[in-house]
Amino acid sequence: MRKKTFAAAALLAAATLTLSACGSGDDAKSPVTVVGEDTSNKPATILDTPFEKPDLVLTDTQGKKYDLRAETKGRPTLIYFGYTHCPDVCPLTMNNLAVAKKSLSKADQAKLRVVFVTTDPARDTPSELGKWLKGIDPAFVGLTGDFATIQAGARTLGISIEPTHKDKKTGKVVSVHGTQVIAFSPKTDGGYVLYDEDATVDDYTKDLPKLIKGENP
Amino acid sequence: MKPGKCLALTGIAITGALTLAGCGSSGSGGSSGSAGSSRAELSVGASYMPRPVSADMAAGFLTITNRGGTKDELTSVTSDSAGDITMHRTDGGAMEEVSSFEVPAHGQLVFKSGGNHLMFEKLKRRPDQGDTITLKLKFAESGPLTVEMPVKSATYNPSTGH
Repeated sequence: MRKKTFAAAALLAAATLTLSACGSGDDAKSPVTVVGEDTSNKPATILDTPFEKPDLVLTDTQGKKYDLRAETKGRPTLIYFGYTHCPDVCPLTMNNLAVAKKSLSKADQAKLRVVFVTTDPARDTPSELGKWLKGIDPAFVGLTGDFATIQAGARTLGISIEPTHKDKKTGKVVSVHGTQVIAFSPKTDGGYVLYDEDATVDDYTKDLPKLIKGENP
Repeated sequence: MKPGKCLALTGIAITGALTLAGCGSSGSGGSSGSAGSSRAELSVGASYMPRPVSADMAAGFLTITNRGGTKDELTSVTSDSAGDITMHRTDGGAMEEVSSFEVPAHGQLVFKSGGNHLMFEKLKRRPDQGDTITLKLKFAESGPLTVEMPVKSATYNPSTGH
């Protein structure tokens, strides 16, 4: 059923394209663009009502129990939900944070906690996660565990993830990542700033010194 | 089911009508269509690969521009550097493999971070910044194109160039 609707949309799109292709020459200067324009240039959103830190007790890359609230209490903390078999956004997000972190003083670097929670725990075992994070920043925390627990934790932050599943058409494994990094204040332990996936190294470099102090960027 | 079917029929009807009109005018216009040659004319730009975390997986981005008046379709991407290259579109946080992508007439097919991407698996080794990955793009109509894709830093941002 869904497939059919999609086919119809594709046909309609084809029809529109045919119009611009075969229409009069005056239309030729307005090329068809596949990707929409990005108008937002502010990747950080400060929340009026901060998120409570999720009560997640998971397993770290050493295979040890990691209680998120206890371990990151009073620390500036950035949390992201993703998976290691992700070619584009997940490594880019984590690498952006890793590069921006290097511009902090050593003391501030030691205060910061960056926590990567896998959305694909079946494939992201503690050792797989550890191997992947080592290629980005060995100080980053990687957490894995029961999917339902991770999903429930993500949901409290407004992040909706699905279990890894096989695509019915292609038979390929599909996983889902979150699209935001959430910054938690060392003063309140509340998640008060959201970064979307357009946030760059420069954005994080500019904001991290403020986030370390729990100030608004 | 009903609305879908209805929509499809409308689509077909419109396509038919336009094709008729388009081809009619180009036939009578003779050589007047200076910019709009009928064939797809493809070129590739803005290609790069952010340095991946490992040899297991990498992403690649590029833009295919079609200056011709006919659409084409990107049907496969191959490289000696990777065991497998697939094409994906991203929808929210989920990515979906696609077997082909349309390159619209007088338009572009854009692969960019956060959107459509090429996914490289089983690379021979982890590429370093400064390396070049040679790709072969195949199309439904046009001949194949070879692309020399530079490997940039892991955090490369094409809009700032660093």
